[in-house]
Amino acid sequence: MTDIDPRSQHPAPQAATAPPGASAESAVPEAAQDPATLAETIAGLSEPEGPQTIQTDAGAKDGLSKCARCGATDISLNVATGNLRCNFCRHEWQSTNMNEAFGLDQGIGELRGVVMGSGSADIIPSTEVVMTFKCSACGAEVVIDTDHSTQARCHWCRNTLSMNQQIPNGAVPDMVLPFKLPKEEAVRKIAEFVGKRKFYAHKRFRAEFNPENVMGIYLPYMVVDVNARAHFRGQGEHQTRSYTVKVGDRDERRYDADLYDVERAFDLHVNDLTVESSSQRLDQTSSNTNNIINSIMPFDVEHAVQYDSNYLAGFTSERRDTNVERLAPIVHTQSQDIARHQALKTLGHYDRGVRWDAEHVEVVGQRWVSAYLPVWLYSYHEQKSGGRSLLHYVAVNARTGETMGSVPINQTRLLGASAVAQAVGTVLAVVIFLVGG
Amino acid sequence: MLETLTTDVLPALQVMAASDESDARGIGLLFLLAGPAFYALIYFRYRNSHKRHHHEKETEASTHDMRATDTFVRRLTGLSNRTMRGANHKEVRGALRKIF
Repeated sequence: MTDIDPRSQHPAPQAATAPPGASAESAVPEAAQDPATLAETIAGLSEPEGPQTIQTDAGAKDGLSKCARCGATDISLNVATGNLRCNFCRHEWQSTNMNEAFGLDQGIGELRGVVMGSGSADIIPSTEVVMTFKCSACGAEVVIDTDHSTQARCHWCRNTLSMNQQIPNGAVPDMVLPFKLPKEEAVRKIAEFVGKRKFYAHKRFRAEFNPENVMGIYLPYMVVDVNARAHFRGQGEHQTRSYTVKVGDRDERRYDADLYDVERAFDLHVNDLTVESSSQRLDQTSSNTNNIINSIMPFDVEHAVQYDSNYLAGFTSERRDTNVERLAPIVHTQSQDIARHQALKTLGHYDRGVRWDAEHVEVVGQRWVSAYLPVWLYSYHEQKSGGRSLLHYVAVNARTGETMGSVPINQTRLLGASAVAQAVGTVLAVVIFLVGG
Repeated sequence: MLETLTTDVLPALQVMAASDESDARGIGLLFLLAGPAFYALIYFRYRNSHKRHHHEKETEASTHDMRATDTFVRRLTGLSNRTMRGANHKEVRGALRKIF
């Protein structure tokens, strides 16, 4: 092929507001005759086209969320079936699947611009985090701390109040992926994971470890579909011969290879790219163990349902505190990684590798949906010398069961064992040098 | 343990040394790093500080309208590297966890 899509090299600016067939030069003088039209036209021209919004909380209500059969408000997730269950009459029902309701798994190729779920809207800093609701059963005022939950029980009449309407504080997302793995299974997985790492574990950790203390938590994520155009240009090498040459008194390996100019251009559709949307979880440095939670992805987000606070009953949640603007560069870079990885399947000939000299990935369209995803989390606070501390996590993906963790180390024991290994290694090395001459 | 060393390990080392002197020297040098290597092995097994979500492989994606150009430039001879210098086709830049 010789033609590379010119759109990928020179993205055409979007004429967002000009009507078809009308040029900017002709539009302004016409409007200038009427001050009202002028103001309208200027406002229209100066305002950038905002994201298209999918209203995902239409029909959602705050307050008492009642069982359709008996009217009780004591509703929670039945992990075994994935349904919501009334804990009074045992009636079960299922929420609407998000993909079926909003077609989130379709039309990635048709995406243009930014499409967002209404629960992914920017957080307004002045919005309340602690919300007060009036209980419609008894009239008492009930407080919900949205940092950790979107439900609270009325102290007076024991009814459960739910918050399902989205307000710009990041507490109510577009969708929720219910817990599927029961607590007993998570406890077993955590015990097994740590059980394989006990010998060099910190003494205090070994004494205090109790997997029963695992917590079920819904963590906030953004799930993004990306429609992009990718264009890579560089050089690749294909090995044709491998042989040995004599250099002084040593044999050395040499290679012959064919050098090619390589170019790839394609459209890329990324489905359900998932990124953390809590600033605490996004911070992944050597001074914390947040990478553990990152490593248990991916989740089967195609099974996520429309948000209902009742899914959070018995679990805690962490509020989203990050906007699309901050996450967009991460999503763009990760999309570029995915494009580079997708190109690999066309590079089999280049067994010595390819060096891309120019890379261009243009995001044509993107769809953002906020989600609560389920994690079983065991945490342990390690106190170190000098007043330092480190929070260790063992995390279980509550959908797939993938488990990962960080176990505090008994440094004295590990350094001692390493010293023994070094002594044995030194002896063996000396023997090898003596025997080998 | 000493018996194992004399009956199993030493003959194996002698074979290695006889088969290729430079290889044996390389293995000897590796043994000199046994302490740090053991420490690193256990550290990463317990702390898993290098683990991350492999978004580039684990995210569902598809390509469409793939257009490819491969133009032969020239033959290179006598290269000492087993892989292409500067190859970056498997590079990952979007990982949140930076190991180093």
